[in-house]
Amino acid sequence: MDAVEKANAERQRRWVKDQKVGEGTYAVVYRGRELATGRKIAIKKIKVGQFKDGLDMSAVREVKYLRELQHPNIIELLDVFSSKTNLNLVLEFLDTDLEMIIKDRSLVFLPADIKSWMAMTFRGLEFCHRNFILHRDLKPNNLLIASDGQLKIADFGLARDAADPGYKMTCQVITRWYRPPELLFGCRYYSTAVDIWSVGCIFAELMLRIPYLPGESDMDQLKTIFRALGTPTDEEWPGHTKLPDYVSVGQFPRTPLRDLFTAASGDTLNLLSKCIIFEPRKRISARDALYHPYFFALPYPTHPSKLPKTAAQTAAASRPPDEVDGNVDPGGGAPAGVGKAAPPKKLKRKLSGHDLSRNIARKLDFTAS
Amino acid sequence: MSTNRTNAASWLRGTTIRKGTTTPATRSHTPQTQTSSSIVFSGGVKDGSGRTSEYFSMDDQCPVCKSDRYLNPKLRLLVSSCYHKMCESCIDRLYTLGPAPCPVCGKTLKKMTFIPQTFEDLVVEKEVAIRRKLAKEFNKRREDFPDLRSYDDYLQEVEDITFNLINEIDIPETQARIAAYRKENAAFIELNQQREEAYVQALKEQEEAERRERQLRAEEIRRAEEEERDAREGERRALIDNLENSDADAARLVAQARAEALKRAAARTAAAHQAVFAQQQETMRLRAAQSAVVVPDQPHVPLLDGYYAYEDLCGLRSSYFDPASDAVRRDKEGIMRAGGYRVEEAWERALRYAVAGLDITPPLGEVSMPLPITSRVDADVAMASV
Ligand SMILES: Nc1ncnc2c1ncn2[C@@H]1O[C@H](COP(=O)(O)OP(=O)(O)O)[C@@H](O)[C@H]1O
Ligand SMILES: [Mg+2]
Ligand SMILES: [Zn+2]
Ligand SMILES: [Zn+2]
Repeated sequence: MDAVEKANAERQRRWVKDQKVGEGTYAVVYRGRELATGRKIAIKKIKVGQFKDGLDMSAVREVKYLRELQHPNIIELLDVFSSKTNLNLVLEFLDTDLEMIIKDRSLVFLPADIKSWMAMTFRGLEFCHRNFILHRDLKPNNLLIASDGQLKIADFGLARDAADPGYKMTCQVITRWYRPPELLFGCRYYSTAVDIWSVGCIFAELMLRIPYLPGESDMDQLKTIFRALGTPTDEEWPGHTKLPDYVSVGQFPRTPLRDLFTAASGDTLNLLSKCIIFEPRKRISARDALYHPYFFALPYPTHPSKLPKTAAQTAAASRPPDEVDGNVDPGGGAPAGVGKAAPPKKLKRKLSGHDLSRNIARKLDFTAS
Repeated sequence: MSTNRTNAASWLRGTTIRKGTTTPATRSHTPQTQTSSSIVFSGGVKDGSGRTSEYFSMDDQCPVCKSDRYLNPKLRLLVSSCYHKMCESCIDRLYTLGPAPCPVCGKTLKKMTFIPQTFEDLVVEKEVAIRRKLAKEFNKRREDFPDLRSYDDYLQEVEDITFNLINEIDIPETQARIAAYRKENAAFIELNQQREEAYVQALKEQEEAERRERQLRAEEIRRAEEEERDAREGERRALIDNLENSDADAARLVAQARAEALKRAAARTAAAHQAVFAQQQETMRLRAAQSAVVVPDQPHVPLLDGYYAYEDLCGLRSSYFDPASDAVRRDKEGIMRAGGYRVEEAWERALRYAVAGLDITPPLGEVSMPLPITSRVDADVAMASV
């Protein structure tokens, strides 16, 4: 065993894999635990070698971007190790995703709940975009929910850096129902605005409780969009008829959003409409969205801990609360400004070799692209 | 000294310490701890889901019988009240017939008092146990003190006591201090324990209420769907009856039935909307009642970090000499514009990568030299090379 293999074996031993919890396009996800602390984690096992070049690009991308992005609303990558022909990503464990919550018909969503989910989504996305990373696969199923209610953007398998000038990007990204019209028209030069369209569709889905624009094929997707929002004119979206795969799918009149979203407030519809503007340059940015009046209007966004939970989540949470009888800190939480009686360092459970270098901001990364 | 030692240990080992609720069912989640012993050892430190996570290492070896994990893959080491480790079969062998001395230090031990090991370091194990025990009574909060100073003194006192117990210093005097505190603060201790219980209770009630609400709603949905199905079936039958018993034009009858069905469906949808609205009201009331005890909602804060609070050290020009972006500028058809691509974004990214971190002191202490960049840099970056 050489040094690299040894280091890898050591990392692998830190984690225990339990049962399978999910399957995606190129990976199987297992529940697991950290051996030393018992903390629940998820192991995303990516089969490599099934692609010509050996290592699947998706796996590389996912590792690259997750290593660089640290934010409360982005899933945390704890470790990476390889086993046989697999690459294993160790991720924080998350109980459920937004799709399951939307589909659980027994749950009632208050307007304040939707506001809370949207704020968390935009915060995570703003962080990606601020670092010039496009997610390119936003959908309810990739927005995972932690036990404390925090929403985390996951599945960076399709993410990439915003392209350098003159470089084409593939338009075969984003699950169809959440794909913006510029990608459906085959555009190879696009921007962060593609993610905003997806968020707009998710926003609408949270209100409707069913997918907003469920096209049956790529062509039908365009029709579905235009049926809902009207066929764009060249004035509304200059140049779109020149895009590589442009086709005319017919003229549809514009119907006001109000007709479908009968109960939504004016602010709500204003923000929604700005997420699904045809012309990508006019679409609102994640940062501007966070400053939209919708978020400041009453009701306040629901505190994440009180957001609707699926039955599985409630079951997980109703196990005995952590350490009711074992509050190690006699002060009941370390009070700020009281440095005098800090508990000794050795009390912390051993988190063997937690990689501190990961906390250095992306801004320091000179190696990127 | 040896009597002090025993005192500390027995005080520490009071019945409350083994409050573990670990049942055999939850134990099965941690396969490597499948016990070979006749009794289930509980206690230890629990994780977020209430499970005990035992310390486990391939290097484990029983100090008494020397068997290790290679000899016995099911080896499980437990910790005695004197903080000495031994394996389950040694415990069975030595203590099944009743109390017997510890093979290491001679202290009299009983089988029931062994607990699982949570931490690699037994000193930490002991410290955690002591702190847990103390925290039950030393449970005052900042609000219980008139000023920060007295709160600080209290924390210091707790630390002193903890330190003494861990290191087995002045045990009788320390015990006396604890007793004095207990007597003086009986009311406070009781109150804070009640507060804690009330909080746990409130959480439990909230979950129960949510569960009930979900159940009710599921039932309602089922009923509504049933009604809808019945109604549709009724309409269909009425139409068939009509067609059989009337001489009127069939096409007209069908159209008429369809129009009526549509009207009824619309009425049902409106009723359903009304029901959803009523439900939201109810949920809102329920949650409002709970939020008093649990967590209040907070006004929106757009961003949680101060990323944009820093002044940029350099600015972006309106244009750069950039052969690579020629393709974009020659975009006569407006294809890139139509797709939302902005060359300015690429420039900004290149510039940020180039200058980011320049004013951060490198992490190596001795060789670091603060860089004298405090004013705006008019960075002129050749984009082609980035
Ligand atoms: N961190 C996690 N915790 C719990 N479940 C997860 C986690 N990550 C993924 N999953 C589950 O596995 C499924 C697939 O994961 P995902 O990352 O979306 O893979 P893919 O890129 O192949 O779609 C998810 O829909 C989810 O149900
Ligand atoms: Mg996925
Ligand atoms: Zn032994
Ligand atoms: Zn002993």
